[in-house]
Amino acid sequence: MISLQVQNNQPFRIDEIPFLNKSDFVDSVSEGLSNGFRMIGLFPADKNVTHKIISLLIDPDFSSIHITGGEFPKDKLEFESFANQYPQTNYFECELAENYGYEPIGHPWLRPVRKQNIILGNKPYQFYKLEGDEVHEVAVGPIHAGVIEPGHFRFQCHGELVYHLEINLGYQHRGVEAMMLDTKNNQRVVLSESITGDTVIGHTYAHCSVIESLTDTQISLRAQVIRSVAEEFERIAMHLSGLGGVANDVGLAIVSSSYGRLRTLVINSLALLCGSRFGRGLFIYGGVRFDFNDENVKQIISNLEIVRKDVSAINKFLFSSTGALTRFENTGIVNKDIAQQIGLVGMAARSSGIETDARINYPYGAYRYFPVSLITLPSGDVFARARLRALEIDESLRFIFEQMENLSDGEIKSDVGSANPRSGIVSIVEGWRGEIVHIAFTDSEGKIIQYKIKDPSFNNWYGLSLALRKTAISDFPLCNKSFDLSYAGHDL
Amino acid sequence: MIDAIKLRILQGDPIIHDVRNASLPKLFRGLPVIENKSCANECSRCVEICPTNAISINPVKIDLGLCVFCPLCEEACPGKVIHFTNEYKIASDSRESLIVTNGTNTISVEKASEKIRSYFGRSLKLRQISAGGCNGCELELNALSNVNFDIGRYGIEFVASPRHADGIVITGPITQNMAKATEICYDAVPYPKIIILIGTCAISGGIFQYSEETQRKFLEENKIDLFIPGCPPHPLTFIHGLLDWLDKK
Repeated sequence: MISLQVQNNQPFRIDEIPFLNKSDFVDSVSEGLSNGFRMIGLFPADKNVTHKIISLLIDPDFSSIHITGGEFPKDKLEFESFANQYPQTNYFECELAENYGYEPIGHPWLRPVRKQNIILGNKPYQFYKLEGDEVHEVAVGPIHAGVIEPGHFRFQCHGELVYHLEINLGYQHRGVEAMMLDTKNNQRVVLSESITGDTVIGHTYAHCSVIESLTDTQISLRAQVIRSVAEEFERIAMHLSGLGGVANDVGLAIVSSSYGRLRTLVINSLALLCGSRFGRGLFIYGGVRFDFNDENVKQIISNLEIVRKDVSAINKFLFSSTGALTRFENTGIVNKDIAQQIGLVGMAARSSGIETDARINYPYGAYRYFPVSLITLPSGDVFARARLRALEIDESLRFIFEQMENLSDGEIKSDVGSANPRSGIVSIVEGWRGEIVHIAFTDSEGKIIQYKIKDPSFNNWYGLSLALRKTAISDFPLCNKSFDLSYAGHDL
Repeated sequence: MIDAIKLRILQGDPIIHDVRNASLPKLFRGLPVIENKSCANECSRCVEICPTNAISINPVKIDLGLCVFCPLCEEACPGKVIHFTNEYKIASDSRESLIVTNGTNTISVEKASEKIRSYFGRSLKLRQISAGGCNGCELELNALSNVNFDIGRYGIEFVASPRHADGIVITGPITQNMAKATEICYDAVPYPKIIILIGTCAISGGIFQYSEETQRKFLEENKIDLFIPGCPPHPLTFIHGLLDWLDKK
């Protein structure tokens, strides 16, 4: 395929991207997709020049990112949809159509991504509807029964069984990507902390890496390690929260509250480091703001010792409870083949047996020197998605203990210069939910002219839809919690 | 069964017994204090650096309804006039009380009216609406029901239906796409009903005050009973604010 090949966090010049005509662009991207690459972006490199788009595909085997440009006639923004052959591109094409008025010809399921009541292809969007005797529709949301974010779900059911679940989002749309262009430097870090409040570290890490790469800033090893340790804190905390959620959904109150207690210890440890239970304020361009010292390290280690000791007892109870296992096993299955076709990422993909983890496939920061182990489980059901999180907690604890005992000396902040002109950057971070991608381009003065964010939820919501097929509607809460997806991260 | 009991024993006693005098880590950024010092000549670094326009000078004032509790102003101030303390009691029933000036040592909550206290003093059921909240405030609201904070002991609970609720709790800046749902939900709550705003985004739009995708008309049209600032607010800020407002021990 014709493309510019770069690595994670490797800056490149916009002029290096090959811009092809429509048919060459479609051929080249199709070739990449047929090689098993996965799409991470499809949008114009300059927000105001909409007839020139770029496709970004990632090749997990060679840790590379393939960028191909396509130039379209200004009055004819259309191309043959890739989605019939490669379902993973489906949602990216919907997003391109919604944001920039493109028409993917022959697209199997053009639907709104974030905007409500939009007209696609001359008619208002209609939900899929199951017809026949004794079929019924269940509509839920946007406001759900609990303290959670809004989204609308349509279940097409026959009796107890769900035949189709359609998920309609966008209620949380705050315009984060547009604001990234207009706001000042001091606002952008705060903004990236608010993309999803449960993945503060993950998104802020990706955003800071974008700016640091654009400005050729080197980060000290100590700062990189602190960043990674914070990221693992976040992973442990949210995995504990998710396991508490699935335990609660199968009625094991004591397990749920025990996980909740441990999560408090973990996020309070993060507050000992940086003052915020979610890691807000920790990241700055060029490094981190807060450092480990003898006092906070001692307290954090003692907190984590409790977590390490107790979590194994709680896991043992949950995963040997017949009642829980009956609910978990063979519920909400997404097999490896389907998971690959729709481009699942992160822990949901690993639970379907796909070997993908940005910390390993596209290593960045401290993970380049101190690798983590890849964990996968084959079954793709609720059990796998829960068990995987328990295993990842152990691995993250190992990483944190190892790093905190061997912290290297050094400054934690570096100076940051101005951004390179007409440059681009792709930054990939493995948040606790999965692959976070931030992509930015600058103009001839170094001002950011395009900023794209892809939360793992953007890929994985469709996985939840498919997991529900031929599954009892009463198992929806359990399946939903096992995927544990973000609304705010999807809606942006 | 034995294993379940063992787990219970492992839990120990994690509850925070005295929520009024709990101590938070010293780095926790709660109530900012403005020292009785004069600023350097024509210095306006705090105003320029603040990501949400929360600060004004001559004299220095910080609006906690806009503040996202990042440490930028404290870092930028050459004369160390502004610094954050770990004081978490920062809820208030009035928007004006959230503005901190030189001499502000505490932020307090006026007692609710006698009617409200007699209706909700012993049992308050709330319906939460996430209207563009990033899930930070939502996580802290969920934490209220865990074994550490256990808000149920005060008769305060989050319920599934607005029909069962005594009021709504809003998180997030209210996006255009959630504006209608927010109104419908509030209308479904029976009278008398209250509105509580959680977090900087709900109170003022916070970092999203610059967004074109918000629609905050609902907040202008209705009386707000309680403001809980923070990004996100610590669970103890919420508990303390509500207990004071309902005049409980």
